[in-house]
Amino acid sequence: MTTDEATKSEGEVQAAALAERGEDITPSKDRGVLKIIKRPGSEGESPMIGDKVSVHYKGKLANGKKFDSSRDRNEPFIFSLGKGQVIKAWDIGVATMKKGEICYLLCKPEYAYGSAGSAPKIPSNATLFFEASNAGELVELLDFKGEDLFEDGGIIRRIKRKGEGYSNPNEGATVEIHLEGFCGGRRFDCKDVKFVVGEGEDHDIPIGIDKALEKMQRGEHCILYLSPRYGFGEAGKPKYGIQRNAELVYEVTLKSFEKAKESWEMDTKEKLEQAAVVKEKGTMYFKEGKYLQAVIQYGKIVSWLEMEYGLSEKESKASDSFLLAAFLNLAMCYLKLREYAKAVECCDKALGLDQDNEKGLYRRGEARLLMNEFELAKCDFQKVLEVNPQNKAAKSQISVCQKKRKEHNERDRRIYANMFTKFAERDAKEAASKTGVEKTVEKAACEKGPKTPG
Amino acid sequence: MAVDELQAIIQRCQILEEADFKGEDFNLFQVAGQKCLEDGYAAQLLEVIQNEKNKVIIKNMGWNLISPLVRCIFMYKQEDDKREHCLMILDQLAQLCNPKELFLGLLEQIEQTSGEQVCQTVMLLLQPLQTVLLKLQNKKAYSVGLSLAMIMNQLTPLPVPYTKQQIQEDKLGLCQCCNAVVDFAKPFVNEVVKNMEKSSGYNDMELKEELIKFCMKSLKYPLLTAQLEQLEGIEEHPFRHFATEITDILWNIGELIPLVFAHHKGKSSQWENQEFADIEQKNSADSLACLSYLIFVQHFGVECFPVVFSPSYLLLCNMTHIEVLLKRLSKENQTFLYVDLFESCLLRMEDNSLLHHYLEFRDFINVPQDLVKIMTLCPMEHMRKKSLNILQLFIDKFDTEGKYALFRCLLKTSNHAGVEGYIIKNIKDQIHLALTKEYDNIWFTGHHLISLLDLVLSLPEGAETDLLQNSDRIMASLNLLRYLIIKDCENDNQTGVWTTLGKIEQNFLKPLRVGLNMSKAHYEAEIKNKKENRKEAHSSNTVCSVTVSGEKMPAMTTGMQLQVLHSALFTFDLIESVLARVEELIEVKTKAVMDEN
Repeated sequence: MTTDEATKSEGEVQAAALAERGEDITPSKDRGVLKIIKRPGSEGESPMIGDKVSVHYKGKLANGKKFDSSRDRNEPFIFSLGKGQVIKAWDIGVATMKKGEICYLLCKPEYAYGSAGSAPKIPSNATLFFEASNAGELVELLDFKGEDLFEDGGIIRRIKRKGEGYSNPNEGATVEIHLEGFCGGRRFDCKDVKFVVGEGEDHDIPIGIDKALEKMQRGEHCILYLSPRYGFGEAGKPKYGIQRNAELVYEVTLKSFEKAKESWEMDTKEKLEQAAVVKEKGTMYFKEGKYLQAVIQYGKIVSWLEMEYGLSEKESKASDSFLLAAFLNLAMCYLKLREYAKAVECCDKALGLDQDNEKGLYRRGEARLLMNEFELAKCDFQKVLEVNPQNKAAKSQISVCQKKRKEHNERDRRIYANMFTKFAERDAKEAASKTGVEKTVEKAACEKGPKTPG
Repeated sequence: MAVDELQAIIQRCQILEEADFKGEDFNLFQVAGQKCLEDGYAAQLLEVIQNEKNKVIIKNMGWNLISPLVRCIFMYKQEDDKREHCLMILDQLAQLCNPKELFLGLLEQIEQTSGEQVCQTVMLLLQPLQTVLLKLQNKKAYSVGLSLAMIMNQLTPLPVPYTKQQIQEDKLGLCQCCNAVVDFAKPFVNEVVKNMEKSSGYNDMELKEELIKFCMKSLKYPLLTAQLEQLEGIEEHPFRHFATEITDILWNIGELIPLVFAHHKGKSSQWENQEFADIEQKNSADSLACLSYLIFVQHFGVECFPVVFSPSYLLLCNMTHIEVLLKRLSKENQTFLYVDLFESCLLRMEDNSLLHHYLEFRDFINVPQDLVKIMTLCPMEHMRKKSLNILQLFIDKFDTEGKYALFRCLLKTSNHAGVEGYIIKNIKDQIHLALTKEYDNIWFTGHHLISLLDLVLSLPEGAETDLLQNSDRIMASLNLLRYLIIKDCENDNQTGVWTTLGKIEQNFLKPLRVGLNMSKAHYEAEIKNKKENRKEAHSSNTVCSVTVSGEKMPAMTTGMQLQVLHSALFTFDLIESVLARVEELIEVKTKAVMDEN
């Protein structure tokens, strides 16, 4: 018997044994994936969905021909379990395994590469045969490390029950969740709550939950480990008795959600209706001083309407008025958030829609004043007065501009005048204190080091 | 004469200690050596160099001879003995000289060459360069990287041979040169591999990074522009060979699979050097796209590639590359890469198996829109056709909700009546499946469908819509409506079309009728005008001229104009007849139901 024939018959024997005695592990019990345990693994839990699992395996076709082996590559194969990264048979099969287990899997084409096959190695309608083993030598990886959602160690998820379907809530989606929050083993929060993703703060829910929700599916039940910056951070949460920089653990069930629509999914009428709603919301946030949240709301109007075309005359009027309001309000928010360049940009867009807009001109003036562009600021305020001679605020701003410019010039002059003496002084001082400074820096680094999260 | 001068300086230096060599000695040596070469005394020079007594002198001064030596080598003919001597000198210098200086000398030569001599020079100097680099003690990784970067930069301006004939001829020697460069890199690859096995690979990261840079560069040039299909009659296709070597290098240093899936995981900055990480990210898109093409279409390196990934995941990972290649299409004649890569990914999938949630990935929405651009704007007809085929393949792979969302998106974004007509035909096919298949299809029946029909059964600008421009779309819409009315009985109303008939009448049929009447009247008047004008005189006063890509088109004769006008009228007649048929059907069906009641 040639070696070829030997491997062939061996493959056939194993395949036949599997077909005969293998346990059907498919949820629908259609015998699409059959499994025999060759060597049982350690007692204890199996990997959970989303876990990074590493396996060694050898794959053969029904005729015994080997098509792939991780041993040939000299490294275990690592993937995220239950995420559709691998053929269906694997997502099902590996989930049933224990650490250290070795098993045989027989996979019908419907659970592998189907009628399409996978060029060049897998022909059409091929039944695959695997010997899979959770790699023993990589125990660390095999400790079923939960999924690191943003690859920064900030949010670790372990899924207790997989959700249905594949769509996730997006920013702006309305979600209904049940959550329980723990800190150091103490439960501090337990509630059913409905809110909009991105607005969790309204319900004393930390930002990490909002972020994680965008990666969850309907019905999913998971445990989330939040590092402080995704939790309540520096401030802590006195209401719950949570100290600053506390690590949190949440158990969250996403009961249902209603996705916010993508711009291209909405027709003009819908966009205009929604624009009115989010404008209200934005204004509410603005009044409460939550400028970041307000920016999100006004931003939606811009993303919906800025590029919309083919509007009727009436719609176009409504759209322009929403856009104008959105840009003006965004400008105001950015002024409050001290992002002056963005404020100017928004005013420019507002003025593009209505070149004599009093608020637009005034706010651009303010922003430019704060950016020390006194001449441009003055021009804006003067234009305000052209539009509305009664605007007293603009009048006083013009004098502020002039005063500031004078001050600024004075200061410049003084700085330059003193520059040389100053430089000389500073050089002397630096030389003297250098050794001291270095020590302090070193010390600070040492103290900071271990606390900074990786 | 020249030889005597050289002997003189040599004899003077033989008695000196290494440290006592002066600047003028170097000069004299260089001048004399150069003269020897120029006067054809290469054999004598070789003797001097081989002389054991001169070892120290050559070690220190020899590198000065590189520049004249290279010049001479190119002067002599292939079979000339003198050339042979020069080559031997080069070989000796590589063995004897101080590696540091010689390295710079060689690099300088490569840097200075240009045009047709690039490949020859590079191939000539690769061997000594490799010898020297292997001897270098310090900054070896840096020097290897510098050499490879310099060589690739010099090659990059050269045109890549494309046709079989060009490849066989290899006029500038590029094919040969590329493969020589890979051979040059091999000892360094082996070094990295060996160190990886020792597993204390940290200090070797540098050399590994340099090799990755080289591979990435090679992928972008020449591989991305090269013709990589098997060519009949060429046994060893040089670029296929080169591609194999490059994927092998990446595989051997353990970077192939990480690179293929790199972009998807979000760049994990494995580089020590932040600057490199940034540059790499910017430049790597093209290279990574090419790598994907090599693996998934040309099956290079497939032996070691895991065969357990699901087809949808592979498509997901390749979508970014497809987008990159599509974007290149507009810039260069990179015609087939994207088609092949996209097709190979799609062909691995079963129909209806792609879940709609993939549309949430930006690329999955962008790519079909880019395809539409090619379908409508690309000047090459076969590209337009291929893109259309790919788009259909892409549509077929989605589940019903995915198809629904995609249709909606394309209807809203394509801005092209032909494409819209095509999508509407697809919608009709889906409705047909929904009505004939057993299983429930909530997306192409009932309220979801109605909201889609709102988009389809309307005129963009009401009665003023340009019917000629939009005729493809209008005909498709009318056909769809006719199908719905025939297929779906008012009593069943599975599609919901009967509920929304009033709206359809208002938004579509009525303005269409008005529009048709106006357009027909207008064109008929125009024809009448033209005919009368023709009778009057042949005064051909052209109203406007048309230029196509800078060339003025000949003015249309009145006869041609009439022909165009008539064909427009014909289109209107066609629309009108289908419209009439639809209206008739609606009337008959509603009447039948009324009679029943």
